Amino acid sequence: MTRHRTLRRMLAFAAIAALPLPANAHKLAEKGTPVTIADSTLSVTPTRDWNRLSGRIGAHAERWTLDGEQLNDVTFYAGVAPGEPLLRERSKKKDPLPKFRQDMLLAEVPELLERTYRTGRDARDFQLSGAAPGKFLGRDGVTFAYQVTDSEGLIRKGEARAAAVNGKLYLVTFDAPRLHYFDQVVDDARALMGSATL
Amino acid sequence: MKGLFWAFLLAAGLTLVVGNPAQAQERSATRQGFELAPNSGKKILVFRPSISVGAQSTGGLFEPNGDWTDKARTNLQAALEKAQASLGNAVIAAPEAYGDDAQTLQEHLQLFAAVSDAVIKYQFFVGNRLPTKKRDNKHAVFDWSLGKGVADLPGAKDADYGLFLFTRDAYGSTGRKVLQVLAAFGPGLAVKSGQHEGYAGLVDLRTGDLLWLNADAAMGGDVRDAEGSEKRIHQLLEDFPGSTPPKAQPQGPAQAKP
Repeated sequence: MTRHRTLRRMLAFAAIAALPLPANAHKLAEKGTPVTIADSTLSVTPTRDWNRLSGRIGAHAERWTLDGEQLNDVTFYAGVAPGEPLLRERSKKKDPLPKFRQDMLLAEVPELLERTYRTGRDARDFQLSGAAPGKFLGRDGVTFAYQVTDSEGLIRKGEARAAAVNGKLYLVTFDAPRLHYFDQVVDDARALMGSATL
Repeated sequence: MKGLFWAFLLAAGLTLVVGNPAQAQERSATRQGFELAPNSGKKILVFRPSISVGAQSTGGLFEPNGDWTDKARTNLQAALEKAQASLGNAVIAAPEAYGDDAQTLQEHLQLFAAVSDAVIKYQFFVGNRLPTKKRDNKHAVFDWSLGKGVADLPGAKDADYGLFLFTRDAYGSTGRKVLQVLAAFGPGLAVKSGQHEGYAGLVDLRTGDLLWLNADAAMGGDVRDAEGSEKRIHQLLEDFPGSTPPKAQPQGPAQAKP
């Protein structure tokens, strides 16, 4: 009897193991349809179709792209609580990431992103090229631009918007190779960022 | 004991599941409508390849090795010059670039690597395709670009197409190889020792459109020696549009096309 049960379990497991992976784990974000980000209260309404990449790079992070994150990358950090990093830490001991702090000024958010890119994404260089107060989510926030040299040595341009709401950080970034790809998508990315609401 | 049995069964199952997508991987693609006949009168500009060779640490990180990279550069350049005769069309070596030109060329090579990486991940891996590209994929459309900036690269005005080559080899360190064996006998999980990426792409020098790409993250041929480099170049230029490659080259299992 026990032997039969074991055999049945083995056959069931073999059947599960033999199932093909889901045909496509990435989701479509359709033009004009509101989408909730990373199970938070943040939502956006895209002005064109986008791909929502599967796999979470952070507890509150979600990545969107048109051609692959190598070529255009919109990342939302939706409701990062004090004490939390933006991305998932590879090693809390060896490579700890900077954490969002309750008393953090919005002017310090670009530096939080820079340190996160340098440690969490192995960026070779990060230059802030402009930061100014700006509205985000209907609140006073910060808008900034940057240029980052990624771990492969490719130079990428980026733009970001951030605001703190009820003690949590809401940040959205767009970056892409400065050759061809940034200019090609930046207007769509700005429209996407501008559609964000809570 | 029973727990151990189930753990092994689970590990074996996971290996099966994780192994599936690789079977669905493609390796090369051509832009729809693009054809290049042998002796067409078109000129191909060959840019100096981007080459990096190093070791893969136990943790999987790339550690560059200058000596290996220099050897590979010499070997691959010699192999490339030898192979150019069989590309089927007039080949021009890109002029040496200096200063800003050299930087722009380097940036385009890095962009080419990023585009190739995206193609491998989101087009060649059929099960990982992006929803917005589904319609393109259904109609076998291969639409990727480096942008019009390629028209300003040194030598671009004297040619029709540009050939970009990128290789990155990380040879597994002793620690990595030990980890590979331990992982295989322990939990039964596959740990890869060594990484051998190679991309070759033909680009329209007016539009920047990628016309043909041959890209794989698991290339054969040890680029640190002359014979291995010839094998690598042969593999990179396999099925190059309009080419007439010698058929006699020996092929290892890594070259098997899906």
